[in-house]
Amino acid sequence: MTPLPAASLDLRPSWGEIALRGGLPILVSLALPFLLHFVVGPALGPYPTKLLVDVGIAIILAVSLNIVNGFTGQFSIGHAGFMAIGAYTAASVTYYGSMLIWETAERQAGFLPAGEWLLCGGCLVGGAVAAVFGYLVGLPSLRLRGDYLAIVTLGFGEIIRVLLQQTNSQLFSSDEIREAGRRELFPPPLGGALGFSDIPKYGTLFWVFTFAVLTIWVSYRLKVSAAGRAYLSIREDEVAARSIGIDITKYKVRAFVIAAFLAGIAGGLYAHSGVILSPKDAGFQRSFDVVIMVVLGGMGSISGTTLAAIILTLLPELLRDLQQYRLIIYALVLIVMMIVRPQGLFGVHEIWEFFGHKRLGTRRGGRT
Amino acid sequence: MTPADATLHIDDISISFGGLKAVQAFSLAIPKGGLYGLIGPNGAGKTTVFNLLTGVYPLKTGRIHLDGRRIDGLKPHRIAEAGMARTFQNIRLFGELTVLDNVRLGCHVRGKHSLSATLIRTPHHVGQERAITSRSLELLAIFGLDDRADVQARNLPYGDQRRVEIARALATEPTVLLLDEPAAGMNSQEKLRLREMIRSIRQQFGLTILLIEHDMGVVMDVCEQITVLDYGLTIAVGTPAEIQSNKAVIEAYLGTPSELPDGASV
Repeated sequence: MTPLPAASLDLRPSWGEIALRGGLPILVSLALPFLLHFVVGPALGPYPTKLLVDVGIAIILAVSLNIVNGFTGQFSIGHAGFMAIGAYTAASVTYYGSMLIWETAERQAGFLPAGEWLLCGGCLVGGAVAAVFGYLVGLPSLRLRGDYLAIVTLGFGEIIRVLLQQTNSQLFSSDEIREAGRRELFPPPLGGALGFSDIPKYGTLFWVFTFAVLTIWVSYRLKVSAAGRAYLSIREDEVAARSIGIDITKYKVRAFVIAAFLAGIAGGLYAHSGVILSPKDAGFQRSFDVVIMVVLGGMGSISGTTLAAIILTLLPELLRDLQQYRLIIYALVLIVMMIVRPQGLFGVHEIWEFFGHKRLGTRRGGRT
Repeated sequence: MTPADATLHIDDISISFGGLKAVQAFSLAIPKGGLYGLIGPNGAGKTTVFNLLTGVYPLKTGRIHLDGRRIDGLKPHRIAEAGMARTFQNIRLFGELTVLDNVRLGCHVRGKHSLSATLIRTPHHVGQERAITSRSLELLAIFGLDDRADVQARNLPYGDQRRVEIARALATEPTVLLLDEPAAGMNSQEKLRLREMIRSIRQQFGLTILLIEHDMGVVMDVCEQITVLDYGLTIAVGTPAEIQSNKAVIEAYLGTPSELPDGASV
């Protein structure tokens, strides 16, 4: 047999083919945010639009957690911690940024005004900061597994929550910000227990679904590639994975970093969706909501977790009157699921595999 | 044999778990293309030797050279990269994944997988995925399993699972293959085929093989040289004929007459 690198060279497609086969579907899928923003949103009105924004954010959170919990088989229940880090970071960037540049944190009108690009940058910075924490939390995953790792991630979320409570009060005018000294700026002025308010409402359908589509795209490309197989092999059997040369350290930490980055972006969008950020957002409750989405949708199934994120975000709205029983219903649904279908709705598979289509990743020969 | 001459050169390796000396001063040198056997009663430390070779247990004393390169102290995935592949006594396939994915994972170590190339799907990445897939199918075809490529590995019959595991190990393009009881659970027909398969893959892939096996028919037939372990100690080394007549080996397997209780007769 020829060595793999040489064999790879022979089978290499051209950049044109890559652009056509890979780039085109992505461009088409990026039409979705435009459609939602300009057609669906205005047609539905403000309240359903807000719900759709929540759905989009839930999709990013669930699909990103699926990379850790589903693909790699690590049990993380601190996802809200990463989200909160991203949220506070992005909120600081846009709020204080707007204050310093434009003297006000009011939302700017129009489609994609300068302020919204500040949001885009803020989300990416928020994601990057969350990714650094993802690296730190990923390290113990090398030594701990199962319940013990879950405890560490849970503790991480709680630490973030407590730290956020200890932050300074928010600065509400540009003069205050310019004159702030070390006492006001350290710990950073993120509002403490009172919360971070007046964040410009840039979390539009366009941005939320642009990032949601990109998240699904990143997650899918990971899944149907050599990297995705490596993640799954770690979930299946670490000893066997190591014996065939998989660097499980690298892949575990990388899964945490990617998931944290995407959760940070989700947090950034959440912060700008018209809420007052509070330390509670880093808490256990929110992490658990995301875990339930992944478990119900199927550990490892991107389409399954997406569907679960949509359903579980809309369900409380449909069952308005049952709001206070939501947790009881959650618990019951989980118990029933664990008994009837422990692998989740779709297991590791994607929805279309149940309709006779082979998983793209296992298709013989040809394109993968 | 010096480390430079032997493909696999093991020099004086030992490990203890608490007070139990699982492997003591084990040494072995296998020349290129050699097919050596490792036998001994249950608990003799055979699998422990494999775990030391593949880095599952970190080595405290002794040296291991693979193709003249020192590999002890390396992480398991580096040892695999250096050219050591193994199968497991209790088959360890990735059960939820397809047979094809199992073998494709074996190819992983020979490829380059950067995150950016994966996300952008660069021509090199796509070419590599194609090469990995076609190579994996070729390997499966050698074992007559190419028609099972899309089956979940855990749904295969036992004998097929063993063959998939060997195919996965071969996909890493090893120089040394460690087989841990490949005949376990096989019927006599399958064992006959296994002997043929071991010989033919050695030939085809230019392998150096170390084989743990309880089935004496298989060991005595295929191995050129056999090492016998008992309680972590090497009690005999020799050709199959020498081992069969070795007194210490017979004692290790069957015990000595003096161990019988008073008054009992054989």
